[in-house]
Amino acid sequence: MDHAAAPAVTLTLPQLGWIPALPLLAFTLLLFFGRRLGRFSPWVAVAALAGALGITLSLAGTVFHGHRVAVSWAWLSADAPVWSIGLSVDGLSWLMLFVVTSIGTMIALYSMGYMHGDPRLSRFFAYLSLFCASMLLLVLADHFLLLYVGWELVGLCSYLLISFWFEKPEAAAAGRKAFITTRIGDTGLLLGILLLFWTAHELHFSQLDAVRAHLSPGLLTLISVLIFLGAAGKSAQIPLHVWLPDAMEGPTPVSALIHAATMVAAGVYLVARTLPLFTPESLQIVLTIGLLTHLFAGTVALTQTDIKRILAYSTLSQLGLMMVALGLGAAPLAMFHLGTHAFFKALLFLGAGSVIHAAHAQELGQLGGLRKTMPWTAALFFIAAVSMSGLFPLSGFWSKDAILLAARHDHPWLLWVLLGGAAMTTAYIFRVYLRCFEGTAKDHHGATPHAHESPMIMVLPMAMLGLGAIGAGLAGSPWLHHPLFRLLGETHVHEGVDVPILAWSTVAAALGLGLAWVVGVQQRYLLPPALRPLGSQLYRLAANKYYVDELYDRFLIRPFLDLARGLAGFDQRVIDGAVNGAGRVGWGLGELKAWFDQAVVDQLVNGLARTVRGAGATLRWIQTGIVQQYLFVVVMAVVVLSALLRR
Amino acid sequence: MPVQSLLLLSHALFCLGIYGILTRRHAIGLLLSIELILNAAALNFVLFSRAFGHVQAQAFALFIIALAACEAVVGLAIIIRLSRTAKTVFADHVDLLKG
Repeated sequence: MDHAAAPAVTLTLPQLGWIPALPLLAFTLLLFFGRRLGRFSPWVAVAALAGALGITLSLAGTVFHGHRVAVSWAWLSADAPVWSIGLSVDGLSWLMLFVVTSIGTMIALYSMGYMHGDPRLSRFFAYLSLFCASMLLLVLADHFLLLYVGWELVGLCSYLLISFWFEKPEAAAAGRKAFITTRIGDTGLLLGILLLFWTAHELHFSQLDAVRAHLSPGLLTLISVLIFLGAAGKSAQIPLHVWLPDAMEGPTPVSALIHAATMVAAGVYLVARTLPLFTPESLQIVLTIGLLTHLFAGTVALTQTDIKRILAYSTLSQLGLMMVALGLGAAPLAMFHLGTHAFFKALLFLGAGSVIHAAHAQELGQLGGLRKTMPWTAALFFIAAVSMSGLFPLSGFWSKDAILLAARHDHPWLLWVLLGGAAMTTAYIFRVYLRCFEGTAKDHHGATPHAHESPMIMVLPMAMLGLGAIGAGLAGSPWLHHPLFRLLGETHVHEGVDVPILAWSTVAAALGLGLAWVVGVQQRYLLPPALRPLGSQLYRLAANKYYVDELYDRFLIRPFLDLARGLAGFDQRVIDGAVNGAGRVGWGLGELKAWFDQAVVDQLVNGLARTVRGAGATLRWIQTGIVQQYLFVVVMAVVVLSALLRR
Repeated sequence: MPVQSLLLLSHALFCLGIYGILTRRHAIGLLLSIELILNAAALNFVLFSRAFGHVQAQAFALFIIALAACEAVVGLAIIIRLSRTAKTVFADHVDLLKG
């Protein structure tokens, strides 16, 4: 504990800026020269991410000694301190940095194999680099405004990458759905930030404790709930979860990086970062939402048949678990689970991608017996599945059991609920494993027999992630004296392995495994006949995802579209009618004026001209040009006048 | 010599001049007719000066003679220019002012 006692020092390191700048540079390069770089373009992205990983690792020593690393540039010099671009690294953001850069590098490597031959290869890696740059900016930001910039940028990248294969209408629709649904949460976050700035005039994360002392509890609750709304949108918590399963239309490496390991975890990171603002009431909301999502997504995952969708619901469920930990006020535990989850869930997705790449199928019914043809993928998927099930002593065990421990400490009943969730986790993930890799190869569709092991460039990153899935949890284990928790600033941690928890979670995992084998693979009924109608009803409910999409469609989207259609009708009939009517009146008036102009004014002018011309024509015969005739007229006039004037 | 008969003479001269100026086509003829009119006027002046005993009026007759000389000069100059530019000296061949 001597490290924690050491006074925290803030070091200024300008090279911090390179962490987001390197992927941004790669993005710029790929955007402008991607076509020329061709199949070398992936290496640009990989090199940038590896560089960012290198800088992150070089900071490790400083951060593990409890110091902060920070750098800031002036942005707007209005009312000073708020308006600067400030990056800072403490334990919390270092952990996220490490997760993003290491998993990002691995997934970029993997994508080289997975996306091989795609016509928009360089565009894919450009988006991937932009995503990493934005995510790193989000993590490094030391105040809300910069975080929000990164927050929106990752949302944009998520949209771009989900609808990467926009030729598929489902992918385009999924991208739109993700963007719009997360926008709802983002609006909440923006409102929260504005409210915080309006009331406290402070957006720096380092000042949140002071802000908490300054604001009234009611205001704090409002602000924190708004911030949590943003987090719930990004982390796909109920009721904003609907976009994540659809987001699986994107390329699988994207699902692994954005929709499993990093971006969806940004919500958890945000809550962990702003935890000082959360009052007991808002923590209660976080806990409730997290728990609901955990159980809801777990039950849905049990019934789905598309492997990527199962993994998506599993991600939802695990994010719910992290939210539960946050709701208990234990940010380090949530961040610990975030880290381990990133490794094993990315590995699961990459395994699924490897299966899809090899077998060109992602329905459980079309897969089977792949372990013989794809031994590496099978082994790594198995490791990740075991890790997620929380079996001793893999990564998932340490993080999940830490949360169970905290739950038992605060609310004993919660322990049992979470153990039920853990059993479900094991059941659905082993249902996938057993039906994909074990059993006999399916021969219809001709898909599975042609399967082959994925190329080295895909297996190697998976193996690296496998090491993480096995060993990452040790960083938070009592065996190494919890270096991770010290990093995150947690001083009092449970020393030693808690044996009852270990026993119970193993029992839960075994129960889930048995359930997966008996119900998921052998398809046997466990319920007594009397309860079967109820059971099948519940099953149908879960298989249809509790009809949430249909509810949204019925009560939000359809009325909204009806309203829009009604307004469009109003626009066409009333407003267009008025405009057209005004136009028609003007047109008629114009016609009238034109008629008056032609009939009256023109006739007057023409008549005058005609009169003048006629007079001229009749008078011109007088002008003969012969002088003597003029003179004759003069003489005659004199004669006549003198005769008339005679007195 | 009675005034009356002289007055008749001057009127006859004047009417001859008017007739000439209205009927002659040749430009020189026109000038000659104008001379007749002018001389009719001069004769009138002289005649009335004798009749009423105004000697001053006879000065006007001298003025008219001088005026007639000037008029003849200008008129002849016009006729020469006319014959050079329009190649004619007949008044009714010149109708540039015809409307």
